[in-house]
Amino acid sequence: MTVTCRFILFRVAPAAALAVLVGPAGAHKDPVTPQQLSTYQQVFMEQVRKGDLLFHGDAATEKEMAVVLSNTGMACAMCHPMTADTHPATFPKYQVQMAKFATLRDMINWCIEKPNQGEKIADDSEAMKALEAYIYWSQSGTVLNPGKF
Amino acid sequence: MSELDKVRREMAAVLQQPGVRPDPSLRITRRTFVHKSCLVGAATVAETFAWWPLINTLDIAHAAEAPFKFAWISDTHLYPRSLNTRFVEKTMRAAKEVQAMSPPADFLIFGGDLAQLGKVEELELGVEILKEVNIRKVYIPGEHDWYLDMGKKWGELFGQPHWTFDHKGVRFVGLDTVSRGPDYWTAKKMSPEERMGHMATLDGTVAGPWAGVGRDQLDWLQKTLANWDRNRPVIIFSHNPLYEYYPPWNFWVRDWREVNEVLKPYTKVTNIHGHVHQVLYNEIGTMRSIGMLATSWPWPYAPEGVPKLTKPMIRVDPGDHFDGVGWEKIDVSAQDKVDVEYVMWRKQVLAQSPDDYAKSIPEVLRPRVADNMWPY
Repeated sequence: MTVTCRFILFRVAPAAALAVLVGPAGAHKDPVTPQQLSTYQQVFMEQVRKGDLLFHGDAATEKEMAVVLSNTGMACAMCHPMTADTHPATFPKYQVQMAKFATLRDMINWCIEKPNQGEKIADDSEAMKALEAYIYWSQSGTVLNPGKF
Repeated sequence: MSELDKVRREMAAVLQQPGVRPDPSLRITRRTFVHKSCLVGAATVAETFAWWPLINTLDIAHAAEAPFKFAWISDTHLYPRSLNTRFVEKTMRAAKEVQAMSPPADFLIFGGDLAQLGKVEELELGVEILKEVNIRKVYIPGEHDWYLDMGKKWGELFGQPHWTFDHKGVRFVGLDTVSRGPDYWTAKKMSPEERMGHMATLDGTVAGPWAGVGRDQLDWLQKTLANWDRNRPVIIFSHNPLYEYYPPWNFWVRDWREVNEVLKPYTKVTNIHGHVHQVLYNEIGTMRSIGMLATSWPWPYAPEGVPKLTKPMIRVDPGDHFDGVGWEKIDVSAQDKVDVEYVMWRKQVLAQSPDDYAKSIPEVLRPRVADNMWPY
C-alpha cells in the first residue's frame, strides 16, 4: 500500500464520514426567523418601490437620488408599461442598437441616454440597482432566456 | 380562473355567437407596396424611411355614394415645445403630409391625446400645428386632454366631445370614451396635476377602469342610429377600442356589453380607435375594429389579449423616434371599399418572422406597486 493510499484510508475517509454525519461546519446557522424574512423582503421591496418611481419618471425620487433620467418628459414606463418589452430575462446578449454584447444595465443606460436624452448613471449606483430591482421584480414570473434576440 | 379570463369567456359567449361577424361581404386583404418616392431614385435618406405604407383593404357592400378619403391623426401627446421637440416635429410632419394628400382628404379626424398633460399651452400648440391642415377637422378627446381641467379647455377649443354627421352615404359618429372615469381624486384630495399624473400613466393602478361610453351617451348613440338603414355603413370614432383587449391599460371600454347591444342590429359597423399606438385589427360581433398608430411613440402589445386577427407590427427600433409611429389615410370608394392605410414612417410595418414580433419572447408581468403606497 502506498503512502497516498494509506493517507486516504486512515485520515481522509474517517473525516469525510464524520462530515456526512454532522453536516458541513459552514452550513450550520441559526434558523431564519419570520422577522428576518420580513426585513429582507422589506429591504428588497424598498428598492422595488424606488425603482418603480424612477421608471415612471417621479421627479421627487430623481432629485432625492441625484439622477436625471430624462430631458424629454419621456419616462421608461411610457414605452414599457409594466416593464413590457424590456425583456430582462434575455440579457446578457448581443444588443443591436449598441452593436455589442450587453447587460441589462448597459441597456438601461442606453435608454436613458438615447430616447430619454438623460444623463447616464453609474453601473453600481443606487438608482441603477433600484431600476434593476423593479424590472426583475415586475418580470419575476418570466422564464430566463439569455441571449435571445 | 383569473378575473380577466372570466371577462374574456363572457365576452366570447355574448359576442361570438355561431355565424355572427361583420357583414359576410367583407373581405380583408393586406398588402404592402413601395412608395413611388423610393422608386424614382430621388429620395433622400429621410424620405427613404418615409411612405412605405400598409394597405388594409376592407370591402363593404353598399358603401359610399361617391368615393372620398379622410385622414386620421391621433396620440400626438404634445409637451410644451421647450421640453420636447421630437413630438412637435412628428405632429408637424403628419399635418404636412395630410395637407399634401392628392386628391385631398374630405376631412381630418383627430382621435384624441393631442396634449400629454392637458395643459393649455399643449392643447394650443396642437391647434397651432394642425392649422397646417386646411380641410374640415373633427375632434374627439383622449384622457390626456381631459383630466387636468376636466375638459374645460378642450371644450372651448373643440366643442362637444361626441357628435355625428352623414357624409356621402356613410354615417360617422364621434364618441367620447374618456370623460366618465370614476372619481379617484376627491377622496384623496388630489390636485388637478396629481389627478392628471395618474391618468397619464398607462400602467397606473390609481385611475382604474376609466374608459367607458356611459349610459347617457349610449342612449344618444341609439337615437342617432335609429333612423339609419341597418345595412348601410356606420363608422364610429373613439379614443379607446370598443371591445375588451387589455383592461389594465384601458385598452377597452368597461361598458362594451352595452355598446354591443346598441350596435348589434347594424351589420356594417367599423370602429376606428386610437389609444393603443399600434397596428391592431379585431372583429367583435358585427363590428370590426381597427387600431391606429400614434405620432408620438408606439406602445408594446399587451401581455395578453392581442386579437388573433391582428397581424402584428414589427418590433420597433427605439433608437429611431420616427419608427413605429405615423398616421392613417382612410379611402372610401364608390366600388364599396374602405381602405385603411397605415402611413408608418419606416421601411417595414408588419412583423416578417416570429423574431420580429416582440411577443414571441413571453413575458409575465406584474402591475406596478409604488402608486399605491404612501403618499399616494
